[in-house]
Amino acid sequence: MDYITLAIATGRISKQAMALLEESGISFPDYHKKTRKLVIYDQTKTVKLIFVKTADLPTYVEKGAADIGIIGKDTIMEEQPDVYELLDLNLGKCQLVVAGFPNQKLQNGAPLIVATKYPLITKSFFDEKEIRIETIKLNGSIELAPLIGLSNVIVDIVETGTTLNENGLVILDKVVDISSRLIVNKASFATKTLQIDQFITKLKAVLG
Amino acid sequence: MYTDYSVNDENVKDYQKYERTIKTIQKRFKTYGYERIKTSTFEQYDLYSTVTSSINQKEMVKLVDRSGEVLVLRPDVTIPITKELADNFTTLPNEIRYYYVQDVFRQSALQDEGIESTQAGVEYFCESSPEADAEVIALACHSLKDLGFEDIKIEVGHAGFFKELITLINLNDRDIEKLKTLIKAKNIVEIEELLSGLDIEEEVREAIAKIPFLYGNPIQVSERARGIVQTIKMDETIDYLIEVYEILKMYGLEDNIVIDLGLINHMGYYSDIIFQGFVGEFGKPVLMGGRYNKLGNEFGAELPAIGFACEVESLIKAATSDIVSERMPTDIKIEYSSGYITESISISNELRERNYTVLSYPISKKQLNVQKSIYQINIAKENTFIYRNVSTSFSSIQELLKLMNSAKGVK
Repeated sequence: MDYITLAIATGRISKQAMALLEESGISFPDYHKKTRKLVIYDQTKTVKLIFVKTADLPTYVEKGAADIGIIGKDTIMEEQPDVYELLDLNLGKCQLVVAGFPNQKLQNGAPLIVATKYPLITKSFFDEKEIRIETIKLNGSIELAPLIGLSNVIVDIVETGTTLNENGLVILDKVVDISSRLIVNKASFATKTLQIDQFITKLKAVLG
Repeated sequence: MYTDYSVNDENVKDYQKYERTIKTIQKRFKTYGYERIKTSTFEQYDLYSTVTSSINQKEMVKLVDRSGEVLVLRPDVTIPITKELADNFTTLPNEIRYYYVQDVFRQSALQDEGIESTQAGVEYFCESSPEADAEVIALACHSLKDLGFEDIKIEVGHAGFFKELITLINLNDRDIEKLKTLIKAKNIVEIEELLSGLDIEEEVREAIAKIPFLYGNPIQVSERARGIVQTIKMDETIDYLIEVYEILKMYGLEDNIVIDLGLINHMGYYSDIIFQGFVGEFGKPVLMGGRYNKLGNEFGAELPAIGFACEVESLIKAATSDIVSERMPTDIKIEYSSGYITESISISNELRERNYTVLSYPISKKQLNVQKSIYQINIAKENTFIYRNVSTSFSSIQELLKLMNSAKGVK
């Protein structure tokens, strides 16, 4: 039987995703936390697992280089891949929020300057609120931007809020709740229906 | 003549792949009675901006002519063909079958895809009938088989099913678009979220939430779909799809067809049956089509039709088999043992009468014939037919023809 290729984003959610797979009976004997291997097979050799960079994952699945991917809703919303989004895995739960100094007003006449990793989501969020903004795209340490006056506010992921607190920032508004999703390539869904179905059934059994 | 296919020039090789793909498709289109036409490269911008919800205006490549009028480079072929026909007829005088192979120009938001791509497609102007619709889907599948693809899936849906369902609820355009996007992504989690915030009858809510799962084996899907049917029209839609499927089974295609009632095409002009084709390991559809009975109305004519277009570049990328990547093969090679020349000539002629390309030669001169063929026939004391390394013996031309048909899974 052909194997299906599963892509998992390196970083935050990979550990939780691996635990979920293990619980569903899809285990990867060659996997351990410090592994540097980029390609691993499961015990039955029916699932091939690859680790890819978060922002690249939607591309892998959309183009069919991977049949299935596990990825945060934030990345899906930002990249908008043309894929099926079949399950909410309830992993890596967090929020995408607008944060800034406590006295910061969002509606202020002049365009609000927003630093973020997610320019697309940010723009559509503020468009809907009819607030004029300018976005500054940053790739990390977003919290720094308001501290040094690069932006008025930031739009970023918040899990515990510790980083915000320590830097004197507060949540001003919630954009959206985030969790990890299972995405599937549309062609794979047609040509490997059976294998993908089995995979999803196993996960669903654990998710309840 | 320098037809050296072993040249190492990658440009030449690429072009040869392109040409072979198109030739193969064209040949198949012709056997179903389609005749080639071409349309203008330049079209009026107004033509595309007036037709409701078809092509994203941002994707079109525009230019301005001497008089200041805005033109576009042909972004689609179906609309101009229909317009052209509508200029001449207000109703369909008789059935018309056209095919085309030409470039379309679209600038997608993703810069990695080229602006120019080649489409090979057919337009069959005729009244709706399961026979006609099944034939067009069969042609699509047949063309893919000719190109050597084995893992072929055609997803068949119906534009009317979703359209009918949303007439039952009171949604604004923005929510409808949102719902469409979610159904396309089979994103059941967010469909339920969206619907829970709206004032809809419980039954309809459940029906919409089930649409993404109406996917798979046509008979099973139709049974599940009956459970959520809300109107007579939805029931008729399912009947129709099953009728089409029953005919596709006669073409020997039951393994290639799945139904997807959550299929929504981005081309808004589709009115009834819609479909898209996938081949193994390739991440995007390689062909898309459907019936567009109302498109003629946009130009004041009644011109029901069904059609599809293959994305030639995608087909080339997806192809791994010899048929596209190697030299265009002959249909049949006949090798005969000494003393069997009479039989060979008679079979060759029979096959040529049926328009197959046939090479025949004595087995002793085998090494001189390097040309590849789709089928091979050995004529000796026992006659054998070989297709993809499987050989079967046959004793009459009728048996041979049957073998050739069944080799491709066409009954």
